[in-house]
Amino acid sequence: MTRNWKRNLIGGLSFTTMLFVFQACYGTPQDIGYDTLVEGKVKSKTTGLPIKGIKVFPTNGLQHQYTGEDGNFSFYCNTPGDVMLRFEDADSTQNGSYLPKDTLLTNLKDTIFIEVALEDK
Amino acid sequence: MIGFFRDIFFRSFKKHETEVHKLNYLFWECTSRCNLNCLHCGSDCSKDSSIADMPLADFLSALDTIPEKPGKITVVLTGGEPLLRADIEQCGREIRKRGMRWSMVSNGYLYDQQKHIALLNAGMGALTFSLDGMEASHNWLRNAKNSFSKVSAAIDLAVSTQRLNFDVVTCVNHRNLEELPAIYDYLIAKGVKAWRLFTIVPIGRAKENPDLFLTDAQFRQLMDFISEKRLLKTIDLKFSCEGYVGNYETKVRDTGFFCRAGINIGSILIDGSISACPNIDRTFAQGNIYRDNFYEIWQNGYQVFRDRSWTKTGQCETCRDYRDCGGNGMHYWHGNKANVLVCHRDKTTLSGKIACPKN
Repeated sequence: MTRNWKRNLIGGLSFTTMLFVFQACYGTPQDIGYDTLVEGKVKSKTTGLPIKGIKVFPTNGLQHQYTGEDGNFSFYCNTPGDVMLRFEDADSTQNGSYLPKDTLLTNLKDTIFIEVALEDK
Repeated sequence: MIGFFRDIFFRSFKKHETEVHKLNYLFWECTSRCNLNCLHCGSDCSKDSSIADMPLADFLSALDTIPEKPGKITVVLTGGEPLLRADIEQCGREIRKRGMRWSMVSNGYLYDQQKHIALLNAGMGALTFSLDGMEASHNWLRNAKNSFSKVSAAIDLAVSTQRLNFDVVTCVNHRNLEELPAIYDYLIAKGVKAWRLFTIVPIGRAKENPDLFLTDAQFRQLMDFISEKRLLKTIDLKFSCEGYVGNYETKVRDTGFFCRAGINIGSILIDGSISACPNIDRTFAQGNIYRDNFYEIWQNGYQVFRDRSWTKTGQCETCRDYRDCGGNGMHYWHGNKANVLVCHRDKTTLSGKIACPKN
Protein backbone atom coordinates (compact mmCIF):
# COMPACT_ATOMS: atom_id res chain seq x y z
CA MET A 1 0.00 0.00 0.00
CA THR A 2 2.77 2.44 1.01
CA ARG A 3 4.66 1.56 -2.14
CA ASN A 4 1.65 2.22 -4.35
CA TRP A 5 1.02 5.57 -2.66
CA LYS A 6 4.64 6.54 -3.20
CA ARG A 7 4.42 5.28 -6.78
CA ASN A 8 1.45 7.51 -7.56
CA LEU A 9 2.93 10.55 -5.82
CA ILE A 10 6.22 10.30 -7.69
CA GLY A 11 4.42 9.73 -10.97
CA GLY A 12 2.24 12.80 -10.43
CA LEU A 13 5.11 15.07 -9.46
CA SER A 14 7.09 14.19 -12.55
CA PHE A 15 4.60 16.26 -14.59
CA THR A 16 4.20 13.51 -17.13
CA THR A 17 1.03 11.76 -18.12
CA MET A 18 0.37 8.08 -18.75
CA LEU A 19 3.37 7.02 -16.65
CA PHE A 20 1.79 3.73 -15.79
CA VAL A 21 0.21 3.10 -19.17
CA PHE A 22 3.44 2.50 -21.02
CA GLN A 23 3.98 0.21 -23.95
CA ALA A 24 7.02 -1.83 -24.83
CA CYS A 25 8.86 -0.47 -27.84
CA TYR A 26 7.84 -3.36 -30.08
CA GLY A 27 4.60 -4.22 -28.30
CA THR A 28 1.04 -2.97 -28.35
CA PRO A 29 -0.61 -0.29 -26.26
CA GLN A 30 -1.98 -1.65 -22.99
CA ASP A 31 -5.62 -2.59 -22.82
CA ILE A 32 -7.28 -0.08 -20.53
CA GLY A 33 -10.75 -0.30 -22.01
CA TYR A 34 -13.95 -1.51 -20.44
CA ASP A 35 -15.80 -4.59 -21.53
CA THR A 36 -18.21 -7.20 -20.26
CA LEU A 37 -18.30 -10.92 -20.92
CA VAL A 38 -21.84 -11.51 -22.18
CA GLU A 39 -22.84 -15.18 -21.99
CA GLY A 40 -26.15 -16.85 -22.32
CA LYS A 41 -28.47 -19.43 -23.76
CA VAL A 42 -31.21 -19.14 -26.38
CA LYS A 43 -34.23 -21.44 -26.11
CA SER A 44 -37.54 -21.95 -27.85
CA LYS A 45 -40.41 -20.38 -25.90
CA THR A 46 -42.64 -23.20 -27.10
CA THR A 47 -40.52 -26.27 -26.41
CA GLY A 48 -37.92 -24.96 -23.97
CA LEU A 49 -35.22 -26.58 -26.05
CA PRO A 50 -31.99 -24.79 -26.99
CA ILE A 51 -31.83 -23.28 -30.47
CA LYS A 52 -28.79 -23.54 -32.70
CA GLY A 53 -27.86 -20.95 -35.34
CA ILE A 54 -29.31 -17.81 -33.75
CA LYS A 55 -27.27 -14.72 -34.54
CA VAL A 56 -26.61 -12.74 -31.35
CA PHE A 57 -25.19 -9.25 -31.69
CA PRO A 58 -24.95 -5.81 -30.12
CA THR A 59 -26.77 -3.39 -32.40
CA ASN A 60 -23.95 -0.85 -32.42
CA GLY A 61 -21.12 -2.68 -34.16
CA LEU A 62 -19.76 -5.51 -36.26
CA GLN A 63 -19.54 -8.11 -33.52
CA HIS A 64 -21.83 -11.10 -33.59
CA GLN A 65 -21.88 -14.75 -32.74
CA TYR A 66 -24.08 -17.75 -33.62
CA THR A 67 -25.44 -20.02 -30.94
CA GLY A 68 -24.11 -23.56 -30.90
CA GLU A 69 -25.91 -26.91 -30.55
CA ASP A 70 -26.54 -26.15 -26.88
CA GLY A 71 -28.00 -22.70 -27.67
CA ASN A 72 -25.08 -21.05 -25.89
CA PHE A 73 -23.20 -17.92 -26.86
CA SER A 74 -20.30 -16.03 -25.27
CA PHE A 75 -18.47 -12.88 -26.26
CA TYR A 76 -16.86 -9.76 -24.84
CA CYS A 77 -18.80 -6.60 -25.46
CA ASN A 78 -17.68 -2.98 -25.34
CA THR A 79 -18.83 -1.06 -22.22
CA PRO A 80 -19.42 1.13 -20.18
CA GLY A 81 -22.93 2.00 -21.13
CA ASP A 82 -26.00 -0.01 -21.92
CA VAL A 83 -25.94 -2.61 -24.67
CA MET A 84 -28.84 -3.46 -26.92
CA LEU A 85 -28.52 -7.12 -27.84
CA ARG A 86 -30.43 -8.53 -30.79
CA PHE A 87 -31.31 -12.18 -31.44
CA GLU A 88 -32.08 -13.13 -35.03
CA ASP A 89 -32.89 -16.42 -36.67
CA ALA A 90 -30.12 -16.50 -39.26
CA ASP A 91 -30.45 -19.95 -40.79
CA SER A 92 -33.93 -19.73 -42.27
CA THR A 93 -35.95 -22.83 -41.29
CA GLN A 94 -33.00 -25.15 -40.75
CA ASN A 95 -33.35 -25.14 -36.93
CA GLY A 96 -36.91 -23.96 -36.74
CA SER A 97 -38.19 -20.48 -37.46
CA TYR A 98 -38.25 -17.76 -34.77
CA LEU A 99 -39.16 -14.12 -34.37
CA PRO A 100 -36.31 -11.71 -33.64
CA LYS A 101 -35.95 -10.21 -30.19
CA ASP A 102 -34.09 -7.24 -28.65
CA THR A 103 -32.84 -7.19 -25.07
CA LEU A 104 -31.38 -4.14 -23.35
CA LEU A 105 -28.51 -4.94 -20.98
CA THR A 106 -27.99 -2.33 -18.25
CA ASN A 107 -25.74 -1.87 -15.21
CA LEU A 108 -23.17 -4.20 -16.70
CA LYS A 109 -20.37 -5.58 -14.56
CA ASP A 110 -17.51 -7.87 -15.62
CA THR A 111 -19.79 -10.75 -16.59
CA ILE A 112 -23.46 -11.24 -17.30
CA PHE A 113 -25.43 -14.41 -18.10
CA ILE A 114 -28.82 -14.15 -19.79
CA GLU A 115 -31.41 -16.64 -20.95
CA VAL A 116 -33.59 -15.69 -23.88
CA ALA A 117 -36.70 -17.45 -25.15
CA LEU A 118 -37.68 -16.86 -28.78
CA GLU A 119 -41.21 -17.17 -30.05
CA ASP A 120 -42.05 -19.29 -33.06
CA LYS A 121 -42.63 -17.34 -36.25
CA MET B 1 12.97 25.11 -13.70
CA ILE B 2 9.98 22.78 -14.20
CA GLY B 3 12.15 20.58 -16.39
CA PHE B 4 14.82 20.38 -13.68
CA PHE B 5 12.37 19.16 -11.04
CA ARG B 6 10.60 16.91 -13.56
CA ASP B 7 13.88 15.18 -14.32
CA ILE B 8 14.66 14.66 -10.64
CA PHE B 9 11.26 13.19 -9.92
CA PHE B 10 11.33 11.06 -13.03
CA ARG B 11 14.64 9.55 -11.93
CA SER B 12 13.11 8.81 -8.53
CA PHE B 13 10.08 7.31 -10.21
CA LYS B 14 12.24 5.01 -12.32
CA LYS B 15 14.23 3.95 -9.29
CA HIS B 16 11.08 3.18 -7.36
CA GLU B 17 9.49 1.31 -10.27
CA THR B 18 12.62 -0.80 -10.50
CA GLU B 19 12.48 -1.65 -6.78
CA VAL B 20 8.80 -2.59 -6.94
CA HIS B 21 9.13 -4.33 -10.37
CA LYS B 22 5.43 -4.96 -10.79
CA LEU B 23 4.65 -7.17 -13.76
CA ASN B 24 2.28 -5.21 -16.02
CA TYR B 25 3.16 -6.41 -19.48
CA LEU B 26 3.92 -9.93 -20.58
CA PHE B 27 4.97 -10.88 -24.08
CA TRP B 28 4.12 -14.36 -25.25
CA GLU B 29 6.08 -15.44 -28.31
CA CYS B 30 3.36 -17.89 -29.22
CA THR B 31 4.80 -18.90 -32.59
CA SER B 32 7.95 -18.36 -34.60
CA ARG B 33 6.18 -19.11 -37.86
CA CYS B 34 5.55 -16.17 -40.13
CA ASN B 35 3.68 -15.69 -43.40
CA LEU B 36 6.01 -12.89 -44.54
CA ASN B 37 9.76 -12.72 -45.02
CA CYS B 38 10.52 -9.15 -43.99
CA LEU B 39 13.91 -7.70 -44.78
CA HIS B 40 14.27 -6.22 -41.31
CA CYS B 41 13.10 -9.18 -39.21
CA GLY B 42 14.97 -9.28 -35.93
CA SER B 43 13.87 -12.82 -35.25
CA ASP B 44 14.83 -14.44 -38.55
CA CYS B 45 11.28 -15.84 -38.68
CA SER B 46 10.24 -17.97 -41.60
CA LYS B 47 7.20 -19.75 -42.99
CA ASP B 48 8.57 -23.17 -42.15
CA SER B 49 9.94 -22.68 -38.69
CA SER B 50 11.41 -25.83 -37.29
CA ILE B 51 10.27 -24.78 -33.84
CA ALA B 52 6.74 -25.84 -33.01
CA ASP B 53 4.26 -23.35 -31.58
CA MET B 54 4.14 -23.39 -27.81
CA PRO B 55 1.10 -25.38 -26.66
CA LEU B 56 -1.46 -23.15 -24.97
CA ALA B 57 -1.53 -25.40 -21.90
CA ASP B 58 2.20 -24.85 -21.34
CA PHE B 59 1.80 -21.09 -21.43
CA LEU B 60 -1.22 -21.22 -19.12
CA SER B 61 0.74 -23.27 -16.60
CA ALA B 62 3.24 -20.44 -16.43
CA LEU B 63 0.48 -17.82 -16.10
CA ASP B 64 -1.06 -19.81 -13.28
CA THR B 65 2.07 -19.32 -11.18
CA ILE B 66 1.12 -15.66 -10.77
CA PRO B 67 -0.48 -15.67 -7.32
CA GLU B 68 -2.49 -12.48 -7.55
CA LYS B 69 -5.25 -12.27 -10.09
CA PRO B 70 -4.35 -8.86 -11.41
CA GLY B 71 -6.51 -6.92 -13.82
CA LYS B 72 -3.61 -4.83 -14.92
CA ILE B 73 -1.47 -7.34 -16.78
CA THR B 74 -1.68 -7.19 -20.55
CA VAL B 75 -0.48 -10.34 -22.30
CA VAL B 76 0.89 -9.37 -25.70
CA LEU B 77 0.74 -12.14 -28.30
CA THR B 78 3.65 -11.84 -30.64
CA GLY B 79 5.69 -14.04 -32.95
CA GLY B 80 6.30 -14.74 -35.75
CA GLU B 81 2.78 -13.95 -36.82
CA PRO B 82 0.26 -14.79 -34.07
CA LEU B 83 -2.61 -15.09 -36.57
CA LEU B 84 -1.02 -18.29 -37.91
CA ARG B 85 -2.12 -20.03 -34.73
CA ALA B 86 -5.43 -21.75 -35.29
CA ASP B 87 -6.29 -21.54 -31.58
CA ILE B 88 -5.65 -17.83 -31.10
CA GLU B 89 -9.19 -17.07 -29.96
CA GLN B 90 -9.01 -19.84 -27.41
CA CYS B 91 -5.67 -18.44 -26.23
CA GLY B 92 -7.31 -15.06 -25.72
CA ARG B 93 -10.30 -16.45 -23.86
CA GLU B 94 -8.11 -18.47 -21.49
CA ILE B 95 -6.02 -15.38 -20.72
CA ARG B 96 -9.19 -13.40 -19.96
CA LYS B 97 -10.47 -16.21 -17.72
CA ARG B 98 -7.40 -15.61 -15.58
CA GLY B 99 -8.29 -11.95 -15.07
CA MET B 100 -5.73 -10.59 -17.50
CA ARG B 101 -6.11 -8.61 -20.69
CA TRP B 102 -4.61 -9.50 -24.03
CA SER B 103 -3.44 -7.84 -27.19
CA MET B 104 -1.60 -8.71 -30.37
CA VAL B 105 1.15 -7.46 -32.66
CA SER B 106 0.46 -8.46 -36.26
CA ASN B 107 1.52 -7.73 -39.81
CA GLY B 108 -2.21 -7.61 -40.65
CA TYR B 109 -1.90 -9.88 -43.68
CA LEU B 110 -4.45 -12.43 -42.44
CA TYR B 111 -6.63 -9.97 -40.59
CA ASP B 112 -10.05 -9.92 -42.23
CA GLN B 113 -13.50 -9.08 -40.91
CA GLN B 114 -14.21 -12.61 -39.75
CA LYS B 115 -10.98 -12.73 -37.77
CA HIS B 116 -11.57 -9.24 -36.41
CA ILE B 117 -14.95 -10.22 -35.01
CA ALA B 118 -13.69 -13.50 -33.59
CA LEU B 119 -10.82 -11.78 -31.78
CA LEU B 120 -13.08 -9.08 -30.35
CA ASN B 121 -15.47 -11.79 -29.19
CA ALA B 122 -12.50 -13.42 -27.44
CA GLY B 123 -11.75 -10.23 -25.52
CA MET B 124 -8.86 -8.70 -27.43
CA GLY B 125 -8.45 -5.13 -26.18
CA ALA B 126 -5.39 -3.73 -27.93
CA LEU B 127 -3.78 -4.21 -31.29
CA THR B 128 -0.78 -3.03 -33.28
CA PHE B 129 -0.25 -3.29 -37.03
CA SER B 130 2.96 -2.56 -38.87
CA LEU B 131 2.83 -0.16 -41.78
CA ASP B 132 6.29 0.53 -43.12
CA GLY B 133 5.65 3.05 -45.84
CA MET B 134 3.37 3.81 -48.71
CA GLU B 135 2.63 0.94 -51.06
CA ALA B 136 5.97 0.37 -52.79
CA SER B 137 8.11 0.91 -49.69
CA HIS B 138 5.92 -1.22 -47.47
CA ASN B 139 5.80 -4.08 -49.95
CA TRP B 140 9.57 -3.85 -50.40
CA LEU B 141 10.35 -4.09 -46.69
CA ARG B 142 7.69 -6.73 -46.11
CA ASN B 143 8.90 -8.64 -49.16
CA ALA B 144 5.34 -9.31 -50.36
CA LYS B 145 3.65 -7.50 -53.22
CA ASN B 146 0.16 -7.18 -51.75
CA SER B 147 1.03 -6.71 -48.09
CA PHE B 148 0.18 -2.98 -48.21
CA SER B 149 -3.38 -3.54 -49.42
CA LYS B 150 -3.84 -6.26 -46.80
CA VAL B 151 -2.69 -4.18 -43.87
CA SER B 152 -4.56 -1.15 -45.17
CA ALA B 153 -7.83 -3.12 -45.05
CA ALA B 154 -6.91 -4.43 -41.61
CA ILE B 155 -6.35 -0.88 -40.34
CA ASP B 156 -9.84 0.08 -41.54
CA LEU B 157 -11.31 -2.72 -39.44
CA ALA B 158 -9.30 -1.77 -36.36
CA VAL B 159 -10.23 1.92 -36.46
CA SER B 160 -13.90 1.03 -36.85
CA THR B 161 -13.93 -0.49 -33.36
CA GLN B 162 -13.97 1.87 -30.41
CA ARG B 163 -13.15 -0.93 -28.00
CA LEU B 164 -9.64 -1.45 -29.34
CA ASN B 165 -6.66 0.50 -28.09
CA PHE B 166 -5.05 0.46 -31.49
CA ASP B 167 -1.92 1.91 -32.99
CA VAL B 168 0.22 1.67 -36.11
CA VAL B 169 3.98 1.24 -35.97
CA THR B 170 6.43 2.15 -38.68
CA CYS B 171 10.04 1.02 -38.98
CA VAL B 172 11.74 4.10 -40.34
CA ASN B 173 14.50 3.40 -42.84
CA HIS B 174 16.33 4.96 -45.78
CA ARG B 175 13.52 4.30 -48.20
CA ASN B 176 10.50 5.53 -46.24
CA LEU B 177 12.00 8.49 -44.38
CA GLU B 178 10.92 10.99 -47.03
CA GLU B 179 7.48 9.37 -47.11
CA LEU B 180 6.69 10.11 -43.49
CA PRO B 181 4.54 13.17 -44.30
CA ALA B 182 2.56 11.08 -46.80
CA ILE B 183 2.11 8.25 -44.29
CA TYR B 184 1.04 10.82 -41.70
CA ASP B 185 -1.68 12.15 -44.02
CA TYR B 186 -2.70 8.64 -45.01
CA LEU B 187 -3.17 7.49 -41.42
CA ILE B 188 -5.10 10.58 -40.42
CA ALA B 189 -7.38 10.14 -43.42
CA LYS B 190 -8.03 6.57 -42.30
CA GLY B 191 -8.93 7.71 -38.79
CA VAL B 192 -5.91 6.23 -37.00
CA LYS B 193 -5.49 7.81 -33.58
CA ALA B 194 -1.97 6.67 -32.64
CA TRP B 195 1.22 6.20 -34.64
CA ARG B 196 4.55 5.01 -33.26
CA LEU B 197 7.83 5.25 -35.10
CA PHE B 198 10.98 3.31 -34.48
CA THR B 199 14.19 2.48 -36.21
CA ILE B 200 15.57 -0.89 -37.13
CA VAL B 201 17.86 -2.76 -34.78
CA PRO B 202 20.94 -4.25 -36.45
CA ILE B 203 20.19 -7.81 -35.37
CA GLY B 204 18.76 -10.91 -37.06
CA ARG B 205 18.19 -10.65 -40.81
CA ALA B 206 18.41 -6.84 -40.67
CA LYS B 207 22.09 -6.62 -39.82
CA GLU B 208 23.00 -7.93 -43.27
CA ASN B 209 21.27 -4.99 -44.96
CA PRO B 210 22.90 -1.60 -44.27
CA ASP B 211 20.30 0.16 -46.45
CA LEU B 212 17.83 -0.28 -43.63
CA PHE B 213 19.62 2.02 -41.22
CA LEU B 214 19.42 5.79 -40.92
CA THR B 215 22.46 8.03 -40.97
CA ASP B 216 22.83 10.38 -38.00
CA ALA B 217 21.49 13.28 -40.10
CA GLN B 218 18.51 11.19 -41.13
CA PHE B 219 17.87 10.24 -37.54
CA ARG B 220 17.77 13.92 -36.58
CA GLN B 221 15.39 14.48 -39.49
CA LEU B 222 13.15 11.81 -37.97
CA MET B 223 13.29 13.46 -34.54
CA ASP B 224 12.44 16.84 -36.08
CA PHE B 225 9.52 15.34 -37.96
CA ILE B 226 8.08 13.80 -34.80
CA SER B 227 8.66 16.97 -32.76
CA GLU B 228 6.93 19.19 -35.31
CA LYS B 229 3.94 16.93 -35.89
CA ARG B 230 3.39 16.35 -32.18
CA LEU B 231 2.79 20.06 -31.76
CA LEU B 232 -0.20 19.78 -34.09
CA LYS B 233 -1.85 17.12 -31.87
CA THR B 234 -3.67 15.68 -34.90
CA ILE B 235 -2.56 12.14 -34.12
CA ASP B 236 -0.87 10.64 -31.07
CA LEU B 237 2.53 10.42 -32.72
CA LYS B 238 5.54 9.30 -30.74
CA PHE B 239 8.99 7.81 -31.00
CA SER B 240 9.06 4.37 -29.44
CA CYS B 241 10.88 3.76 -26.18
CA GLU B 242 13.73 2.07 -28.04
CA GLY B 243 16.39 4.52 -26.90
CA TYR B 244 17.37 7.70 -25.12
CA VAL B 245 17.38 10.68 -27.49
CA GLY B 246 19.03 13.49 -25.48
CA ASN B 247 17.54 16.91 -26.07
CA TYR B 248 14.65 15.45 -28.02
CA GLU B 249 13.42 13.49 -25.00
CA THR B 250 10.60 15.86 -24.06
CA LYS B 251 9.67 16.51 -27.69
CA VAL B 252 9.13 13.07 -29.15
CA ARG B 253 7.31 11.17 -26.38
CA ASP B 254 4.82 11.68 -23.58
CA THR B 255 7.33 10.57 -20.96
CA GLY B 256 11.08 10.40 -20.68
CA PHE B 257 13.04 7.35 -21.72
CA PHE B 258 12.60 4.38 -19.42
CA CYS B 259 13.48 0.90 -20.60
CA ARG B 260 11.10 -1.22 -18.52
CA ALA B 261 12.40 -4.57 -19.74
CA GLY B 262 12.55 -6.87 -16.71
CA ILE B 263 11.10 -4.10 -14.54
CA ASN B 264 7.48 -4.12 -15.69
CA ILE B 265 7.90 -6.16 -18.87
CA GLY B 266 8.43 -9.90 -18.94
CA SER B 267 8.20 -12.51 -21.65
CA ILE B 268 7.77 -16.18 -22.29
CA LEU B 269 9.58 -17.04 -25.48
CA ILE B 270 8.89 -19.78 -27.99
CA ASP B 271 11.21 -22.29 -26.31
CA GLY B 272 9.88 -21.51 -22.84
CA SER B 273 12.66 -19.08 -21.96
CA ILE B 274 11.71 -16.46 -19.41
CA SER B 275 12.97 -13.04 -20.40
CA ALA B 276 11.77 -9.51 -21.18
CA CYS B 277 11.15 -8.04 -24.65
CA PRO B 278 11.53 -10.72 -27.34
CA ASN B 279 14.13 -8.72 -29.27
CA ILE B 280 16.54 -8.76 -26.33
CA ASP B 281 19.60 -10.98 -26.65
CA ARG B 282 18.46 -14.45 -25.63
CA THR B 283 21.49 -14.97 -23.43
CA PHE B 284 19.69 -12.71 -20.94
CA ALA B 285 17.05 -15.40 -20.33
CA GLN B 286 16.38 -15.82 -16.63
CA GLY B 287 14.98 -19.33 -16.68
CA ASN B 288 12.58 -21.57 -18.54
CA ILE B 289 8.95 -22.35 -17.83
CA TYR B 290 9.62 -26.05 -18.47
CA ARG B 291 11.82 -26.25 -15.40
CA ASP B 292 11.21 -23.09 -13.35
CA ASN B 293 8.29 -21.37 -11.65
CA PHE B 294 7.66 -18.31 -13.81
CA TYR B 295 6.55 -15.97 -11.07
CA GLU B 296 9.35 -16.95 -8.70
CA ILE B 297 11.78 -16.06 -11.45
CA TRP B 298 9.98 -12.77 -12.03
CA GLN B 299 10.16 -11.91 -8.34
CA ASN B 300 13.66 -13.09 -7.58
CA GLY B 301 15.56 -13.11 -10.87
CA TYR B 302 16.08 -10.38 -13.46
CA GLN B 303 18.93 -8.73 -11.52
CA VAL B 304 20.75 -7.98 -14.77
CA PHE B 305 17.69 -5.98 -15.88
CA ARG B 306 17.09 -4.23 -12.57
CA ASP B 307 20.66 -3.25 -11.84
CA ARG B 308 22.10 -1.98 -15.09
CA SER B 309 25.33 -0.64 -13.69
CA TRP B 310 27.09 -3.26 -15.82
CA THR B 311 26.15 -1.18 -18.90
CA LYS B 312 28.42 1.64 -17.78
CA THR B 313 31.08 0.39 -20.10
CA GLY B 314 32.30 1.14 -23.60
CA GLN B 315 31.01 4.48 -24.83
CA CYS B 316 28.49 4.65 -21.98
CA GLU B 317 31.29 4.75 -19.40
CA THR B 318 32.00 8.45 -19.77
CA CYS B 319 28.64 9.65 -21.10
CA ARG B 320 27.25 12.63 -19.19
CA ASP B 321 23.67 11.49 -19.86
CA TYR B 322 24.11 8.02 -18.42
CA ARG B 323 21.91 8.64 -15.35
CA ASP B 324 18.95 9.45 -17.63
CA CYS B 325 19.77 6.93 -20.33
CA GLY B 326 20.98 3.99 -18.23
CA GLY B 327 22.72 2.30 -21.15
CA ASN B 328 19.91 2.74 -23.70
CA GLY B 329 17.38 -0.04 -24.42
CA MET B 330 18.29 -3.52 -23.25
CA HIS B 331 17.88 -4.83 -26.78
CA TYR B 332 20.95 -2.85 -27.80
CA TRP B 333 23.21 -5.12 -25.75
CA HIS B 334 24.17 -8.11 -27.82
CA GLY B 335 27.15 -10.37 -28.29
CA ASN B 336 29.94 -9.74 -25.78
CA LYS B 337 28.10 -6.72 -24.30
CA ALA B 338 31.29 -4.69 -24.32
CA ASN B 339 29.55 -1.71 -25.89
CA VAL B 340 26.04 -0.59 -26.68
CA LEU B 341 25.04 -1.50 -30.24
CA VAL B 342 23.50 1.92 -31.00
CA CYS B 343 23.65 5.20 -29.09
CA HIS B 344 20.62 7.29 -30.08
CA ARG B 345 21.86 10.25 -28.09
CA ASP B 346 25.01 10.17 -30.16
CA LYS B 347 22.89 10.38 -33.28
CA THR B 348 20.91 13.37 -32.08
CA THR B 349 23.80 15.75 -31.53
CA LEU B 350 26.35 16.93 -34.02
CA SER B 351 28.87 17.04 -31.17
CA GLY B 352 27.66 13.77 -29.73
CA LYS B 353 30.89 11.98 -30.37
CA ILE B 354 32.67 14.41 -28.03
CA ALA B 355 30.06 14.22 -25.27
CA CYS B 356 29.59 10.51 -25.67
CA PRO B 357 32.86 9.18 -27.07
CA LYS B 358 33.17 5.83 -28.74
CA ASN B 359 35.97 3.56 -27.64
